[in-house]
Amino acid sequence: MVVCYLAHCLLNANAKVDEGARCAGVSMPVLALLREHGATIRQMPCPELGFGGTRRFWAVREQYDTPAYRAHCRRLAEPVAAQVRADLAAGARVVIIGIDGSPSMGVELTAADESWGGRPDKPRDEDYPVTPGAGLFTETLLGLLGDTVPPVRAVGIGQDLFDYDETRELARLGRVVAAEGGPDAR
Amino acid sequence: MRGDGRSRRVAVVPDAYLNPAPGAADRLAELAEGGWGVVALPQPGLPRDVEAGALAAVVDQLAAFLDDGYEVALAEPDDRAARRLVELLAADGRRIEAGASP
Repeated sequence: MVVCYLAHCLLNANAKVDEGARCAGVSMPVLALLREHGATIRQMPCPELGFGGTRRFWAVREQYDTPAYRAHCRRLAEPVAAQVRADLAAGARVVIIGIDGSPSMGVELTAADESWGGRPDKPRDEDYPVTPGAGLFTETLLGLLGDTVPPVRAVGIGQDLFDYDETRELARLGRVVAAEGGPDAR
Repeated sequence: MRGDGRSRRVAVVPDAYLNPAPGAADRLAELAEGGWGVVALPQPGLPRDVEAGALAAVVDQLAAFLDDGYEVALAEPDDRAARRLVELLAADGRRIEAGASP
């Protein structure tokens, strides 16, 4: 059995920033893919929504990287980590599905730039500073799960990337879920 | 620039919507077709402290939506976790409607 922990916005695009949503509500292609693979679905909380609300601006890691936001992420991540551990103990494989390009939910790619701050002056999509690395919530959650056996797998869908290619990203996600859910996964 | 594609409609759903029993209707897909985004309640069987933490996170998310005028509705008002959620929101002075349907 494979259990997939989804970034909140994959099931609820209302959590995205204005102009950040790629669908009205549920990302149907992602849902269909997980259904196809028989995955158990769990939804993680959106740390930015609870902290900044629905009217927040786009932001980068440096703007969120405060002790208060890290504590907020930890408070949200602790119940998730407990559920992940319980799933692993029950014999499941676990895949954490984040949002590449997100300052909070990125897995392989986040957004970071020391120059962001003050008057919003980065209006173009191309200005969004995608950078290798994990987002703050992902980093916190994976830190809490650092000693799990077997280790959890984390993968990001690039919905926050300027050049998002849904076909490519779904294919990549499908390979990860299939590998974790297949007969050779253990 | 993509414009604001958010539906501003949020359904609060039990775990059974995310993980329907074999042969059961896919209510999550039905809500999705209707443009709803969903916030999932904790699955049954969690230890009390873990469920409390997960529900607190749900309250955080929903408060943001409710305070900004989003439509928020309970898909299954009689669900045990849903009833507990209603109590927690009421303690903060917030109300949530019953009846999210496609």
